[in-house]
Amino acid sequence: MSVFAVSKEVLMTVIQELGKTHELHGPRVDRASGQVFFERAGAAEDIALEAELPSMPPKELFFPQVDRLLKYRYDSAARSVELTRLGQERPKALIGLRPCDLAAIQCLDRFFLGQEYVDEVYRTHRRKSFIVTYTCNEPARQCFCVCFHTGPAAEEGFDLNVTRLASGYLLEAGSEQGRALAVGLGLRPATEEQRMEKERVVERSIALFPEKATGNKAWASRVMNRVTTGFVKPEVWEEIGKKCFECGGCSYVCPTCSCFNVEDACGAEGECERLRTWDSCSLESYTRMAGDHNPRKLVEDRRNKRFFCKLSYSQSKKYLRPGCVGCGRCVWVCPGDIGLPSVVEQVKS
Amino acid sequence: MKAEAKITIVDFPEVVNIDEIRDEAPEVKTFYLSFLDPRLEAGFRIRSGQFIMCTVFGAGEFAVSLPPSPERDRLHITVRAVGKVTHALHRLRPGDKLGVRGPFGNGFPFEEIKGKNVIYVAGGIGLIPLRSSIIHVLQHREAFGRIILLYGARTSRDLLYREDIREWQKTPGFETFVAIDRAESGWDGEVGYVNTLIGKANVPVENTAAFVCGPPVMFNGVIAELLKRGMSEDDIVSTLERNMKCGYGKCQHCAIGRTLVCTDGPVYTYRQIKTLGEGI
Repeated sequence: MSVFAVSKEVLMTVIQELGKTHELHGPRVDRASGQVFFERAGAAEDIALEAELPSMPPKELFFPQVDRLLKYRYDSAARSVELTRLGQERPKALIGLRPCDLAAIQCLDRFFLGQEYVDEVYRTHRRKSFIVTYTCNEPARQCFCVCFHTGPAAEEGFDLNVTRLASGYLLEAGSEQGRALAVGLGLRPATEEQRMEKERVVERSIALFPEKATGNKAWASRVMNRVTTGFVKPEVWEEIGKKCFECGGCSYVCPTCSCFNVEDACGAEGECERLRTWDSCSLESYTRMAGDHNPRKLVEDRRNKRFFCKLSYSQSKKYLRPGCVGCGRCVWVCPGDIGLPSVVEQVKS
Repeated sequence: MKAEAKITIVDFPEVVNIDEIRDEAPEVKTFYLSFLDPRLEAGFRIRSGQFIMCTVFGAGEFAVSLPPSPERDRLHITVRAVGKVTHALHRLRPGDKLGVRGPFGNGFPFEEIKGKNVIYVAGGIGLIPLRSSIIHVLQHREAFGRIILLYGARTSRDLLYREDIREWQKTPGFETFVAIDRAESGWDGEVGYVNTLIGKANVPVENTAAFVCGPPVMFNGVIAELLKRGMSEDDIVSTLERNMKCGYGKCQHCAIGRTLVCTDGPVYTYRQIKTLGEGI
């Protein structure tokens, strides 16, 4: 791996260079609320690399909350229809992506691009993207990436990875396009001492994780075993179901949740658009069919389905890793305290 | 002969014309379709047991099983008006257009049941997905043992494919039992729920495969009766229906445990359905 050492100014130059060919997206702090969002940045200096984990995952860039798939207009007099595919490739550079969110994008890649059918809609969004990850110097309160081996530093799947050192930044190229960019800008190779410093940054970051996160490391795989083999008692799911508000928030903030609904939205003039929108398995309408037959009506069955999806080995096959990356957003958002770590705790006991 | 490339219309619907509409039963119509694109009209092939995603322009899309025999019939779908999209479909007339994606799904396991007796048990519109399979088995009559159809509907007006049924009743070696729930004047067939026909037909259970399709109450009654008579859970086959949005394994609405009904199913053995734990 080619490794470079850069100053803050040079790092900005790298991002500006990317901005010439790509839309820039990165963490930005909302002045009014103080919340961090991963969103479009007009310029390199708008990006707050060191801000905490964005409250929404960057999956939106490849799997938009509302995605226009196609449009048509049915001419009921001529009884004819013209369909037009919507959606176009926009080269995007994701700057300052956290390692957990990168692992989630790898899950989505394997799921949308690597199964029996390739999802062309996802592929169009994903093609021509450039990913710059950022090593987490310290965990946030809800983080548990160490349980799922996704952080605090990314190991693969990025084009460039940035680590903040005591003085300046270490820049690792993880792909040919990442290396070409660094070499093209004439970046200075890192010294052995600077590479070693990154190792210490990662070790220090791991040491800062709360006992609960590091202590659960072995439990994550044991709980996966229990969920896969159906070892979990129905009462546990019932208890978890009782705490669920059925708001769907966990699915929306989850960087690997990718269930979607499809509907045709039509205007008064007869113009219709086919929309792909985020959906959640916690909602009662998720499995409801025409005629109101619903094979999965009970909330505990729906909760069971979500955690089976995140924590079973059989589901892991589609991602080639567990469906949870340990970002902890579900802990933030859940009003019923059944974020994934709490579920692990309950299954454990 | 060069093998034809399999056509699957994955995510962008192709337009079909509604050539003809037949009333099957109250609220149930059959729509005969042809692709506007001549290459698709010539090359679109389905397997018995598969389904398509059908767009009613201006209303939306729905998953629908395929009754046509791949060897014999024009493309058609039989649909009961139940929800928003299917009601919109029923308002269309011949010459109107629809969108089609697919075909998706695994299809019926004909190789595995060769040499066995084959029983079809259908309730109401449950005959729709089984129709193509019945035709296939009758066309390869010599490869199977006894062939039996047990078909029940609420009233005589609710019976589908009456032309087919009349033909099947005349087909030598095809034992057909058709029942309606309550006696009606002019009805000289069987009366009662479809599970009661199992005894009347004296169905075999050894070396036998049963294809069962119908509403949940009927399905559960029939399964209980077949199991009581000693049929193996592996020899009972059904086709599952789920809320589906994409048909090709991405929207996840039809996921049950580790399986996706759209790409792994919709055809499952009863043992598989039972293991999935969610019923039909």
